[in-house]
Amino acid sequence: MKLPAIVCRGGSRTAPTIKGGGLVEAITLTINGKTISCNPELSLLDAALQNGFSIPTLCHHPDLKPFGACRICLVEEEKTGRLMAACVTPAAQNMVIRTDTPRVLSHRRNIVSLMLAAHPESCIVCDKGNRCRLRQVAANLGVGEIRLDPMPSDQMPDQLNPFIYRDLSKCILCGKCIRADHELVVTGAIDYSFRGIRAYPATIQDKPLEKTGCTFCGTCVAVCPTGALTTRSVYKGVPEREVDTVCGFCGVGCRLRLGVTGGLVIEANPSTDTKSVNGATLCVRGHFGHDYLNSSKRLTRPMIRKNGDLEPVSWEEALQETAHRLLMLKEQHGPKSIAFLGSSKCTNEENYLFQKIARSLLKTNNIDNNGYAMGRRLLNCIEKRTDGSGRFHFFAGSLAGLEKIDMVLVIGADPTHSMPVMGYYLKRGAVKGIPIIVVDPRKTELADYSTLWLPVRPGTDADLIHAIAALILEQKSHDISFVERFTEGFRGYADSLASLDLTQICKKTGIAIDSLKKAAALIGHKKIAFVVGDGILKQRSGLEAVEALLNLAMLTGSIAHKGAGFYIPAKENNMIGAWDMGTIPDALPGRRLVDDREARMEWEKAWQTELPAEPGMDLVHMIQAAEKGTLKGLFIMGENPLRSLPQPERLQAAFAKLDLIVVQDILLNETVSNAHIVLPGAAFSEKEGAFINMEGRLQNLTAAVKPPGDARPDLDILITLAQKLGANNPPATLTQVRAEIGGVLSLYAPTARSGQLVWIQKRMRGGSTIPFSPIRTCSQEQPDPAYPHLAVIGSQRYHLGSGTRTSQSARIGAFNTGCGIAVAPEDALKWDVTDGDMIQLTSVVGSLKGKVRIDKKMQPGLVWVPLGDNSNMARCLIGLTPLMDSDSPGWNTCPVLIEKAEEETI
Amino acid sequence: MKPPEIDWQKLNTLIESRKTEQWGLIPLLQDIQKAFGFIPPESVEPIADALGLFPAQVQGVITFYSGFSLAPRGKFVLRVCCGTACHVKGGRSILRLVQQDLKLKEGETSPDYQFTLESVACLGACALAPTMMVNREYFGRLSPPKVAGILNYFGKEAQEEE
Repeated sequence: MKLPAIVCRGGSRTAPTIKGGGLVEAITLTINGKTISCNPELSLLDAALQNGFSIPTLCHHPDLKPFGACRICLVEEEKTGRLMAACVTPAAQNMVIRTDTPRVLSHRRNIVSLMLAAHPESCIVCDKGNRCRLRQVAANLGVGEIRLDPMPSDQMPDQLNPFIYRDLSKCILCGKCIRADHELVVTGAIDYSFRGIRAYPATIQDKPLEKTGCTFCGTCVAVCPTGALTTRSVYKGVPEREVDTVCGFCGVGCRLRLGVTGGLVIEANPSTDTKSVNGATLCVRGHFGHDYLNSSKRLTRPMIRKNGDLEPVSWEEALQETAHRLLMLKEQHGPKSIAFLGSSKCTNEENYLFQKIARSLLKTNNIDNNGYAMGRRLLNCIEKRTDGSGRFHFFAGSLAGLEKIDMVLVIGADPTHSMPVMGYYLKRGAVKGIPIIVVDPRKTELADYSTLWLPVRPGTDADLIHAIAALILEQKSHDISFVERFTEGFRGYADSLASLDLTQICKKTGIAIDSLKKAAALIGHKKIAFVVGDGILKQRSGLEAVEALLNLAMLTGSIAHKGAGFYIPAKENNMIGAWDMGTIPDALPGRRLVDDREARMEWEKAWQTELPAEPGMDLVHMIQAAEKGTLKGLFIMGENPLRSLPQPERLQAAFAKLDLIVVQDILLNETVSNAHIVLPGAAFSEKEGAFINMEGRLQNLTAAVKPPGDARPDLDILITLAQKLGANNPPATLTQVRAEIGGVLSLYAPTARSGQLVWIQKRMRGGSTIPFSPIRTCSQEQPDPAYPHLAVIGSQRYHLGSGTRTSQSARIGAFNTGCGIAVAPEDALKWDVTDGDMIQLTSVVGSLKGKVRIDKKMQPGLVWVPLGDNSNMARCLIGLTPLMDSDSPGWNTCPVLIEKAEEETI
Repeated sequence: MKPPEIDWQKLNTLIESRKTEQWGLIPLLQDIQKAFGFIPPESVEPIADALGLFPAQVQGVITFYSGFSLAPRGKFVLRVCCGTACHVKGGRSILRLVQQDLKLKEGETSPDYQFTLESVACLGACALAPTMMVNREYFGRLSPPKVAGILNYFGKEAQEEE
């Protein structure tokens, strides 16, 4: 499938809503006797709503194109006596509109009556309850008895999948689900079938949803005005109250509306906040993956390991013990024997206090977070390339840019799975005609929407980018004025590009010269948005590839241009915030380097203490130090390294050598089981604080419920711990922590009120130039005949990261179709396996067994292993090597031997 | 008798030849309908791929128009008019006669794929009411003997073909 376009049927497509735009002369018209002036491009409905008049609607949604299907928004033009659907009628000069004449009301009542005649009388048991728009509209119009013969529909509910309950007998054909599917999510799983009275929203050949392209994002459920589409859940009925907050899964930072009943979060929907990054959309995780909040594995009491078992203790005892043992370790073995693992899932304030405890009280810089495993070290290089302001130079910011840019280059990323809401932006851009080039060894879902797919051989991306740059330079289609004004070292760069042997590169990357030329032609003279994912950030030659991409960005002038630049999918909600707050070994809050004396002095003054000057250990080096025995204590907040990091047995052994493991977390997970002290924290829905999403948007959380049992918000735990560790007058509340952060970092000073938009942005300094970096080609691993195949490891939309939280969802667990090891049909034939057979993958460090899923989009010789599944089995294959070290083979691919395995349950 | 085999090569050639813009969907569907007598459900996805549409959208267009069918139809498609004028002139009785004669209900196709019976809301020939069509041929001012004659004629033609 290529670019899908929106086919519009039924209502006309007039009255586009105006967005921005130039100066247009306002028009005046009268609504209900009041003279108003408005933009001529507004629809009557928008003009009326803007001026405080209410008009009932069913098929209208502000994010969708006007459709005019339900006709409930009828208004009367007084001069002509015409009845018009307000949503699809443009406002015009001198109109005299009445929204509530007896004639209008009578027509509306008739329309609702006809809808109700074809609607089952099941309102009492309907899960939509009082949120049903049809019911609200009928009630407001006073339509109780309809006095029409009922015309029940014979549609049977579709209830095969664990997420969405489709009862089309309640469908009023407003087309919202279809339009949301086509216009917002761009999946195309459903469309109308038949016409007139037989019409209904159908899947292809009426297959159940899971057999279509449906990704179960639940957007259709959220926009459905009736009970035709509802969430399948163990909880029944409408929630008692709803609370808007920010999703705690990936770095897109969607605004959520959590439904709460009896102190439990029973459902999640997109919030109606119009400025949110997600609008009316969410993904399957955001909509259905929050079941972990009520999991029986939630930690509810502090625990200390006594005689080998974790036993519940009081908070006082747990924190006293933690403080005592940390201080003992510091005294006996020095500050470097302790390490702190902060969290890319916890709030800014928590991360700030966490690293402050480590640095100011225990005097160690051994601080990291799981952002390491997401390729943070590589991003750091971009940062350093431009005196620490790389983020503001190269990073594009708002995702909306992806729908406005000239073209998009997606490399080593599959946002339709890893960050679905970002994927919607890309797909919507593609529908608008923005060319997309996808560079990926797999034919990802996004490749279906792309103009060009380059199936690069894994690990050779840098060479591919160099070749494209060389061709662009050959065509002279680069941004000459940008290169002259803002870069240096161009001559040398151009010379080394010219000396490249393109035939050799074609052979190495597996891409034909024609495809390269096509790519260069697409890119030339354009400003580019780069979407760079795990495939690059965790790869063996990641640094070479990122440098090649930075050079390409400079060559095409795709820097500091609206929408252009780098979009790095942040896999976790607060990866950026944890980084900014200094939960990393080499930088203080504000990303100021530890070994920068000035920066250190600034924080020493703020904290009134001396700070260690030497950068600390990162995540992998912490594990290595534990193996060597030089690390004695590890304090982990909200991370599950035993599930997320490679080589679980090795980690287990390293952890066993530690004298003290303190884990502050929400779920009884693999790491908690190995802890000496357990501190139960709060999930994102149970606390206040702020997250920074991948765009740099600072968003505030709102607590929807209380933490379960004795669990406490993480910030409270850290505050008490700081006191126990002997902190001098530590900040005691969230407000005080915020004030302290804002005192030094003015960027983070605005304490955004809920809903208010705050961005971490900074104007670029003018006048400076950025150097081109020298061309480095990728090192190629010598193929080992014992491991002839290549496993590619990637994310899938049903699990976030290692799946610690998402695997707690029974609904996601019940739905397992997307999982399994993807194998090309040719290979399946060769290995004599078919769908559902077990195969064993063996690499140098470990092996795993999994079910085969034959995937036509795979290339022969490659298999794809999903992250998150089966206790994140993919981690067994890769070696725990420091990412970006010159000898590291990377974490995204791995040579393996594939054998058919005996049938057995795993 | 089995439904006609699908000539995939022919189908692919048709799709290739019409592989243009999205507006080409209906002409392409008409070509396929004409060549095969129906639009094979398996062809929906290749068509969608070729034109850059979602398969569900293609299915939506096919099911919207009564001129397209996703199931194999008979060699002769009988459309009996039940619109207002024909109804007044006894169109329902004509339909009943045809049903009895062919032993088919509305929308059904005979097991030998010779006849398909449909009722339609208007054939646009009200002056000739009651009317029906066999494939693209009109028959007006119908009466029971005339219907019998028509069915007899096409029945024979069907047999001769075999």
